[in-house]
Amino acid sequence: MGSELLSGFRMLDFADEKGALCGKIFADLGADVIKVEPPQGCPTRRIPPFLDDLPDADRGLYFIAYQAGKRSVTLNLGSPDGRALLEDLVRKSDFLLESFPVGYMDSLGLGYERLAELNQRLIYASITPFGDKGPGKDYKAYDIVSWASGGPMFMMGEAGKPPLEMSLPQAGLHAGAEAAVASLLAHYPREIEGRGQRVVVDMQACVAWTLMNEQAMPIMHGDYIRRSGVYYTATGTRRKVVYTCKDGYISTLLAGGPGVGAISMKAMVAWMKERGAAADWMIGKDWASWAPGILMEATDTDRQEIADLEERVERFFSPMTKREIYTEGLKRRILLAPVATAADIADDEQLKARNYFVRVEHDTLGRTLTMPGAFAKFSLTPVGPELRAPRLGEHNGEVWGKLLGIDGARLGRLRAIGAI
Amino acid sequence: MRRYALEGVHVLDFSWVGVGPITTKYLGDNGADVIRVESLARPDVLRLAPPWKDAQPGIDRSQFFASYNTSKRSIALDLSKPKARALVLKLLPWADIVAESFTPKALRKWELDYEHLRALKPDLIMLSTCMQGQTGPNALYPGYGQLMAALSGFYHISGYSPGEPPCPPYGAYSDFIAPRFSACALLAALDYRRRTGRGQYIDMSQYEAALHNLAPALIDYFAAGRVAGPQGNRSERYAPHGAYRCADLDGQERWLALAVANDEEWGAMLAALENPPATERFATMERRMHNRAALDEFVGALVRERDADALAATLQAAGVSAYPVQNCVDIHRDDNLEAFGFWHWLDHKVMGPSPYDGLAHRLSRTPGELRSPAPALGQHNDEVLGGLLGLDAAEIARLKEERVIF
Repeated sequence: MGSELLSGFRMLDFADEKGALCGKIFADLGADVIKVEPPQGCPTRRIPPFLDDLPDADRGLYFIAYQAGKRSVTLNLGSPDGRALLEDLVRKSDFLLESFPVGYMDSLGLGYERLAELNQRLIYASITPFGDKGPGKDYKAYDIVSWASGGPMFMMGEAGKPPLEMSLPQAGLHAGAEAAVASLLAHYPREIEGRGQRVVVDMQACVAWTLMNEQAMPIMHGDYIRRSGVYYTATGTRRKVVYTCKDGYISTLLAGGPGVGAISMKAMVAWMKERGAAADWMIGKDWASWAPGILMEATDTDRQEIADLEERVERFFSPMTKREIYTEGLKRRILLAPVATAADIADDEQLKARNYFVRVEHDTLGRTLTMPGAFAKFSLTPVGPELRAPRLGEHNGEVWGKLLGIDGARLGRLRAIGAI
Repeated sequence: MRRYALEGVHVLDFSWVGVGPITTKYLGDNGADVIRVESLARPDVLRLAPPWKDAQPGIDRSQFFASYNTSKRSIALDLSKPKARALVLKLLPWADIVAESFTPKALRKWELDYEHLRALKPDLIMLSTCMQGQTGPNALYPGYGQLMAALSGFYHISGYSPGEPPCPPYGAYSDFIAPRFSACALLAALDYRRRTGRGQYIDMSQYEAALHNLAPALIDYFAAGRVAGPQGNRSERYAPHGAYRCADLDGQERWLALAVANDEEWGAMLAALENPPATERFATMERRMHNRAALDEFVGALVRERDADALAATLQAAGVSAYPVQNCVDIHRDDNLEAFGFWHWLDHKVMGPSPYDGLAHRLSRTPGELRSPAPALGQHNDEVLGGLLGLDAAEIARLKEERVIF
């Protein structure tokens, strides 16, 4: 059935892993997203790992996750008939998304200017690794390269060891989500004025956008952050943010400050005191004004206190499990969280209570898969994945036949000459 | 024809810290009139967080706050006072969107929750964003995005190997996932209202939004029981793949990020490096995958004495994906970000010229921009209460005296 939010709007999705999440968000919002794949299939079908480790065009977990709810047609953009078909499809579409090398669509006569002549309502979004103007406009950026270029990688890892990427690549997801926001920004005036526009997304900028306050730290405080493992070092004092416990790790920021910080520290100390683990100096401390290394530079006394506190908390947590600590933290309103694994998340009581995960029938695989559900809960027009990712060219008949009205004989001819 | 995409859209923004303000910044930068309703009694914690102008703290000196509050106006009220809440209700008819990020309890107590507001304005769109959503046993979970990044699985997949402690991403990572989802939510709801006349309520859990960036690993766990873990820079897709140390520059270490997707790129890489003798062990992707450790050593030795910037340019010219691993000084000097126009210096009322990150996208016909620097706390009290609500100077002065406004 799909959400009513974007029902009736159609997106042509040519994006690879630099933008798959964009079309996924649109599909969740109820748009008809048509994945236009080359005859050999979208490269995202080949991203490992695969379900049950069986490499197959329909079993890639990335593909299953981020192409859910889309339809698939095959089209050979290298063939003039293929391009003519695309033009017909563009006349019946509202959005187009692509992440080809800069200028590739222009070289095929399918650039924005040309397609806007066919459909002035079209919103045409291009995801580029390094923008469309700079010296790097033709550069390639696989995910780790984007992560490096935008800044986060330099800060992840330990001193003396290589900078790290997360083990589930993130840069393309940020670019895809940004393309969704930008396309919807263009959607609002388009529906009022009847005119679409071109959207260009810069993947490097999408990554740099995640740097939080650190982007301005070197300029305003004079230095940049170096890799420091489990420590937070924004103001020059090392603050431990990850502690070992019995079955894994706990993240907490042992800092007071106004509001929740002080409440949390007070509750933490009270809990430790009950178990004989608090030092005298910690009891009755004015935590509201104690956040060295986070909100303020640390004095020598602060540093001694930090060392004592962090060591005591490490010892305090070590015999307890993640679940015990998290449960107690929730009860006592302490700012902490387990370093959760997929197993912890799958078992989380809050997500269960909100029916977050949804089961989506995958008849192609002979099973039902459990997937993340609605990214937000809408009171009137619920969103979320309902349908699986498509098989390659699964909707050729529906789209070329029903939507464009191409008869069987012509479809056969187009197939024979390799246009679809 | 309009200049900005969201001209004429009005937003009353009670949100604070990260996700809420970053979401409404998308709207403000694109022409919506966003009024942040702030409180001196409970100021936005980002106003108290570094970096500060001249490294000196102050309520109007934080660039952390400033970065996420461009193109907005600020009024400062004490919402615990009924008179302040009455002012808010007077502003309500003006608003198309209300955004807030209190814990679920607070707004109900003040009768500013959706049920109350909808009774006064039936077509209102309201976004509530908090850590774990408005319902469920952990709805009142306090916390920052840093903790959320641990809770939603990102810490666990960050590290060199499963046996070692995690190496978390810097900062409140999930705060930079959720806003893109909540901005999509608001924009879709806004157009839906335009078409149907119907507003609605959006309950955004930062946790639930963030998990979309881990979807493949979650599907895998549910289906096959596999728990994704940290694997350093190892990839099942590319080899070589990682960060390789280059020559130091001005006493600072420099690294090159490199990913080779196929044998053609591998050949191009060797050619660009003047064809060093490479053994047959690395000739195909399959072999490179099998001999990863030796491969990393081989590539490491090839690049160790090279200049990372020059090498990246050379490799990219040969069609190989590579870039220096940039720190936060480098990114401000980056030619590509510069060409896209990502960085901006805006003249803040108290801070003077200060560095803002800009938009990561560009619209051709109605481009957004940082229309104004972040507001000082309550900077627009007179303008909003006088101009928009029509209060006269004496009334405003009285409200100040009664500490209803600041």
